[in-house]
Order: sequence, then C-alpha cells, then structure tokens
Amino acid sequence: MSKGKMREEEIRRIIRADDEWEPVGPTPMPSLIDLRNWDFRLLDTYEPFYAPFCDLCCLCTYGKCDLTGNKRGACGIDIASQQARWILMCVLMGTAAHGAHGRHMVDHLIEKLGADTKIDLGSQINVEAPIIRTVMGLKPETLGDLRKAIEYVEQEMIHLVSATHMGQEGSYRDFESKAFHAAMLDHVALETADIAQIVGFGFPTSVADTPLVDLGWGAVDSTKPTIVVVGHNAVTANAIVDYLRQHDLYDKVEVAGICCTALDVTRYDSGAKVIGPLSRQRFFLKAGLADVIVTDEQCVLTDIPQMAKDTGAALIACSDKICYGLENASARPAVDILRAVLEEQKQFLILDPERAAEVIVQAALALAPMRRDKKQLVTAAEGAALAAKCRGTCEECNRVCPNLLPVSVAVNQAREGNFAKLGEVFLRCLGCGKCEEACGHQIPILRLMQVAATRDTYKMRAGRGPIHDVEIRKVGSPIVLGTIPGVILFAGCSNFPGDIDEVAWLAEELARRKYIVNLSGCAAMAAAMSKDADGKTIFEKYIPEFDAGCIVNLGSCVANSHVVGAAIKIANIFATLPNRANYELMADYILNRVGACAVVWGPYSQKALAIGTGAVRWGIPVVLGPHASKYRRLFMSKKEASDWTVVDGRTKQRVDTKEPTPEHMMVVTETKERALVTIIKQCFRRNDTPPGRAIKLNSYISAYKQVMGSLPDDLQNFIRTEKEIPIVYKREVLAYLKEVGWQPKPVLSLPTIIGTYETEVPIEATIK
Amino acid sequence: MASETMVMPYYKFNVLTGTKAAKVIADPAEGAAIIDRAKNPLYIFGPEVIANPVGACLLIDYALKIAKSRDMPICATAHVKKKMLELGVKPDCTYDIIEIIHFLKDKNWSGVRGKGYHDLVLFAGVRCDLAERGLATLKHFAPHLKTFAVCRRSHPNADFAVPVIVKGDKWREYLEGLIEALGVKA
Ligand code: SF4
Ligand code: SF4
Ligand code: SF4
Repeated sequence: MSKGKMREEEIRRIIRADDEWEPVGPTPMPSLIDLRNWDFRLLDTYEPFYAPFCDLCCLCTYGKCDLTGNKRGACGIDIASQQARWILMCVLMGTAAHGAHGRHMVDHLIEKLGADTKIDLGSQINVEAPIIRTVMGLKPETLGDLRKAIEYVEQEMIHLVSATHMGQEGSYRDFESKAFHAAMLDHVALETADIAQIVGFGFPTSVADTPLVDLGWGAVDSTKPTIVVVGHNAVTANAIVDYLRQHDLYDKVEVAGICCTALDVTRYDSGAKVIGPLSRQRFFLKAGLADVIVTDEQCVLTDIPQMAKDTGAALIACSDKICYGLENASARPAVDILRAVLEEQKQFLILDPERAAEVIVQAALALAPMRRDKKQLVTAAEGAALAAKCRGTCEECNRVCPNLLPVSVAVNQAREGNFAKLGEVFLRCLGCGKCEEACGHQIPILRLMQVAATRDTYKMRAGRGPIHDVEIRKVGSPIVLGTIPGVILFAGCSNFPGDIDEVAWLAEELARRKYIVNLSGCAAMAAAMSKDADGKTIFEKYIPEFDAGCIVNLGSCVANSHVVGAAIKIANIFATLPNRANYELMADYILNRVGACAVVWGPYSQKALAIGTGAVRWGIPVVLGPHASKYRRLFMSKKEASDWTVVDGRTKQRVDTKEPTPEHMMVVTETKERALVTIIKQCFRRNDTPPGRAIKLNSYISAYKQVMGSLPDDLQNFIRTEKEIPIVYKREVLAYLKEVGWQPKPVLSLPTIIGTYETEVPIEATIK
Repeated sequence: MASETMVMPYYKFNVLTGTKAAKVIADPAEGAAIIDRAKNPLYIFGPEVIANPVGACLLIDYALKIAKSRDMPICATAHVKKKMLELGVKPDCTYDIIEIIHFLKDKNWSGVRGKGYHDLVLFAGVRCDLAERGLATLKHFAPHLKTFAVCRRSHPNADFAVPVIVKGDKWREYLEGLIEALGVKA
C-alpha cells in the first residue's frame, strides 16, 4: 500500500532499513489500511456479533438518534456501525492508557539513564521485542528506539481517533479493522513499556524461577507504617523502595500494592506485598490500614480522596492522568509538603517521583503512630450492630449489585451475628460499593465484609517478563505439532462472574492437562487466592518455566505482550520465518499453527478490550467471562456451517478442511465449566498432527465429560481421521461417530489463509 | 389486564436506555397464549435453572414442564447439560448462550431441529446481565423472531417479559399458572 515517497523514506530511516538482521517485509510501520485485507479476511469467517446497550446514539447534537429497526441516525449510521464505532473508541482508550504509560516510562527512564541505554534482556533472550520487530520492522537496541515505538503508536492514533468523529467512517467492517489497528498499536505499547521497565529498573529477565511473594490483605503488616500504592505505573512505587533502602528503613515500613503497580513493585523488590486485584481496592482502602495512599494511573478508583479523608490516611497522587483537583506540589520542598500533609491533612499531586517518595515515606512514619485506632478492624459484635437496621427485605442493595449478589440476605444474617453468607458474597464482590450507596440505612457493607473476609495469605510468583528464546526452541515443535495441547494466557481484570478463585480452578485444570499456562495482571493475583489441602497455591505447585504443565506469572498488564511475543517467536525462532515488518505472515502462522488462547475471565476495562482485540488480529482466539458481553462485540463463526477453506502451503491448492478451528475468535462463556471446554477447543489448530490432535481431543473429551457429563456433541467437527481418536475413549467415540454419520476430513501439514484473500504476501513465504 | 412496557427491571443495570421496551406479561395465561401462537419456539436454559430454587423444586423442574407442554426444543447453555442428563432429559442442543444467539440472528439457519428459524425464543436461567445483552442482540438483529424472558427479574430488551416478582411464592404461582394455562399435552 503506497504511503507516499516521503513517508516511506521516513519509515526506512526510523527502522534503520539498511540494518541487515532480516529483509524488510511488506508492512513496515503499517498505517490504517495496510492490514485491512487481513482484517476483512478474519471478519469473513469470524463475523462481528453486536449486543447494543442502547437503542440510541447520542454522539453529536443531531441526536439522540433512534437506531432500532432499520432506522439510521441523522448522519446515516446504522446500529451495527454505531456499535463498531463504540468499540473503536473503547479500544483507543485502552491503547491510549497503555501508550501514555509507555511514553511516561520511556521518557522517565531516558531522562534518568539516557537515550543510548542498551536494551539487554539477559543471556536467554535475543529476540528482544518480537512485536515491535514484526509490526514496525525495527529491532530496538536502546531506550531511544523504544521512544520511536511510542511515537509510532501516537502518530497512528490521531488518525484512528479522527475516524470516530461524526461523518467519518461508516462501515462496521472498517470500524472493526480500525479497532484491530488500534489494538495492534496497543500491543506495541505494551511491549515497549515492559521492556523499558525491565531495562530501566532491572526487573527479572532471563530467569523463570522468580521469588514467591506474599499476597492477600492479611499479608500486610499494618502495625508498621503502611504505604499502599495503587495503579499500574510503578515509577513512584520503585522510588519509594529506593528511598527506604537508602535510608535503611525498608524493614520498618510496609509497602503494599493493589493492581499492577503491586505486581511491578514486587518485580523490583520481592519484599513488597500484593494486597490483591482491583476488586479489593475499595474494600482495603475503606479498612483504613493504609497510612499513606499513593495513586499512579489506570484502574484507580476516583473516590480515593474521600476514602483517604474518611480513614485519616494521607493521599499523594503521582500521575498527570489522575490529579483529583489537587495542588501540584511537584516543585515545592518536601518539608513544606509534608507539613501541609500532617498539619492540614492536605492531599497533593507530586509528579517528581523522588520528591514524592520522600514525602510519602516521611508521612507514613509520622502518621502511623497517630492512626493506630483507625487501623482497628470491625469486630463481629460491631458488625452486627452496624447491620442492625437491615431487615433484608428492601433489597435495594441487590438491585444495584453488578454481580447479582444476594447482599440483602448476607447483611440480614450479619445482623444476627452470622457472617457466613457475607463471606460468600465477599468472594464474588467486585468492590464497587454500589450496595452501600443504595442502602437507605447507610449500612457500611464493605466495612462489614472485614468481619467475613479471610485474612489468609498466599504465595504468588513475581512476574518473570519475556519468554526465553531457549524455552521457545524446546516447546516450539510440540506446540506446532499439537503434542503440547496449547498455550493459554489468563489476562485482565477482576470483574469475575463468580468466586475469585475461579481463575485458579481454570488454570489448574489446564496445567494438570499439560497446557502451558501463563497469567498476568489481576488474573495472576486471583490465581494465587486459592490453596490446596497442603496450603499451596498453584504458583507453588507447578513449574515456572514456559513448558508443558507450567504456571507462569508474566507480570503486570504490560507483560501480556510476552505471550504474543512467544507466539511470534515460535514462528520466527522455531520455524525460522522472517518477522521483520511481516505482520500477516506471523499472524497467519499463529492462527493456523500455534494453539494459543487468551482468556479474560474478569474483563472490565477498555485496556482489556484492546488487549483482547489485539490478540484476535494476531490470530489468537479469546475466551471471555460473561461481563465481557457488555463490551458489546464478539467475533464468532457459524461453526460447521462456515467456510473453512484454506490453502495447502505445499500444493498451493485450496482445501475445504471442514473443520471449524479455531472455532471463534472472541466469545463469551457464562460459567467456568463452559469456559474450560471452550478454552480447550480454541487450542485446536488445522496444523495439528494426528498424534497432536489426539492429545488435544483427549483433553477436550475428559474435560467435557467432567463438566457436561457426556461426550462432546461437536466431536465430529474436530476428528479428522480415526487415528486421532484417543485410545481411552476409542470404542465410545467410534460408536458416536457412526451414529452421527462422521466422514474423515483432510489433514494438512502447512495450512495457511494466505492466498485466500488479496495480499502482498506470497504463499511461498509461509514455507521455509 | 392491560399490558405495560418494562423499563426498570429488578436489576437497575438492566434499565432500558432506548425506545423499544418489552411488553409486560403479568397474566400467565397471556404468556401461554404467546407460546401457543408460535410455530417453532425454542427454550434456552441457562445455568440458573439448575441453581435457583423455586419452592421445594429447582427452576429447571418448571422450565422442563413448560418445554414439554409444547414439545419445545431445549438449548442447554453453560453446563446445564450435565444436570439435565441426570434428570433423564437430553437437550436438543448445547450451544452456549452467545452461540445460540449468533445462530438465531440468521433467518436462514436450519433451527435446532432442522425446521427452519425459530419464531419465539424463551429464556430462563441465564445470568440477568448476559441475558439482557443477548436479548438486545435479538431485538436489533433478529426481526424475524420474538423473545419471551421467563425471568422474575424482568428484561426490557425482550419482546415479552415477566413483571418483576420479588417474592418467591408469587414466582412459583406465576410458573404454575403458566404451566396450568398451557395444560400438559399427553
Ligand atoms: S453521530 Fe449520527 S447517529 Fe449519532 S447522534 Fe449524531 S447524527 Fe445521530
Ligand atoms: S460492593 Fe460487592 S456486594 Fe456491593 S454491589 Fe458491589 S459487587 Fe455487589
Ligand atoms: S439495602 Fe440495606 S437495608 Fe436494604 S436489604 Fe440491603 S443492606 Fe438491608
């Protein structure tokens, strides 16, 4: 796609096209429409599914426009395109959040260490930035090169935001293509941010066996001055650790975190504590155990200033994204700020991390002795008294609970001193606080939960960052052959539909079936919140190496990039296909040959939407929890009724494979049981060898029998030859296949969809 | 009884933001008449049917009676199939909720029993937030069918919805009324 000579020259300069590590592929630094044909090809098989929230559009002052029936808005848009526009806007928000995070991280580290600081991810990693290499065609060597990646993201985003304006894009397919583009940029930003912080802060890399860190609100020793960091950008949190170390205070002060800042500060220093995911934010902050609350960016509750006031905690905001209307004290002397914090209970915005760290630590030391009474937890007797006015009949709390929880029954039982039901509610509680807002008797329900919540502590492995090239060499072949049944990523937030330990259940069901199980972000924290009979979490029970039957914690949300990176590395390192500026080639390889599946069981954020949408463009199917239906868009095939024709790379002939693999690219499942069988199914690939497919089918059948009580009723779609029937189920499966009139299907060793749509990539490129 | 439209269901997050709201079917006999008018109805069972008690029974016990009364095909979503098999009933299909809705959008789809598109789809036991999204999809993208949410929390995006019924015994009475009005065919 011609971009104009000037831009092409500029791109060649940015990516140092003359560097000869690989020839430059067809799409260096793709712009809005360079990958449009690939997107449309995906959309042909995986149609967008829309679930509108609203019958109306109210985006411009022509509206509100009613879009029900066949009606169109005054601008001419229809309901499908309006949904797709909304999706693009949301993905852009997610990309912007990660992109701005990356920009801040890179700028901060360049200022601190210099733009020439080398990217060195240790002895185990040569392909340092598979996403940036593939998307941009740049092999980043320094922090300065990472800035180029962020600049690329920023430049593309302005065009994408422009397309959301009224009277711009008008087709849902093009909106989706643009959403894919935005989401691909998101992945560039993720990788940039994580590499920058690994390099700049010395986070673990080239090591799998990272330390086990303490997790859970019970892990926080609040008898010490307690600092709680909240958000996703650990620059200030790390500065706090530095300050404590420099002043020999680390054992005297407790540093604990919520959300990804917690994950990243424990990558910096494993002595820090992880309180838990986003869903524990309001619960914990209302408990008053923090002497100082430190906010940075993303997924930070906007009423923290009030919670800090209510509990007498100090609040220091540290990001220009979240200023809370506070005075910017970045240039004021620390002693001045500290005085105002302690004497006037003033809350501040401090953008200088070192200054902020000094104020935060000194404030914690000064406040802790004065706040001892504020750190007392609610007792059972106090809890019963607080609940005294509830009769459990008005149900106003239930009606607003976004997780459909029986709050009224739980509070009513608490009134009688029985907190068991409230304990069950706590396990599913999202921490939104809507129930207590709705309660006419102002019962402080989240504080009541202190009585019911377990104070157990858990072990979680600190985030390990990128997958090693040598690990890829080891598992590349079994993954592509199918004998390792799949690579799973549990990513995203804590908007779980059920108990918080469902992720642990799913992860363990897969790890014990020898899947490669990776976790990140709030999902990694939640996965630690379940112990077996010996008191062990899955991080203690399963290997941390990227291999069959592992449980890997990649790190924070930005570390999600490393699973996509691993999939690219399988194509690039194991299959030796060139990745430089070769997006379609890599994505086609992943779609057809790498049995990977991303799972976001508790999605809530626009960032998670961006990550998931980006995974789809790479050819990685996504399985979502039920709250994701509120994103309003999925990608699904019509199963066996869709066209599953691909090209056989060897013969260049089109072949109707008749097998719906992967079946959907983005699908919601309602329960964890259904999620399990769906995840397993999404790991089938056309490239599976018969022995590999047999292993995958073995997992599918065993899991299906476990949760559904029978053989899968779509088994015939995925068995291509009798050789693929797992031995243990042979007789039963053969009888079933006979009953449904199964016919054998072709097995291809080099399936590709290159050649089934218009592309500059030749079919030969898919074969090495 | 005059029918009203449903705007504010039990769960406030399911409030209608729009122009096209469900008709509230307060009288179970009217619900039975809707079912009787359908040529090719489909009943979707969500996981709450095996979790939610209605009196001494489970919601599935009632839902099965309704389905059997008109020999309606059943789509068992989530992991409902296991319990149904234990009860000795084989569901007609086991698509998950979003999958069956994806098929239902297509007027040319063969339908669960190969008799063409379903003109009425009954929902029971699907998580209320998810059900509401699925109902919205069908409202906008499946003009060839009607939906009836047989759920006491009520659903404004359905074509027909049960009113909000807070009390358990009133809900049981509604379901019994519906079954009685349908009269179980031999
Ligand atoms: S953007 Fe279009 S549909 Fe939306 S309010 Fe304006 S004219 Fe109406
Ligand atoms: S705080 Fe928890 S229990 Fe209360 S409404 Fe929110 S999710 Fe429900
Ligand atoms: S809203 Fe308050 S009083 Fe009413 S049931 Fe819930 S907790 Fe009890």
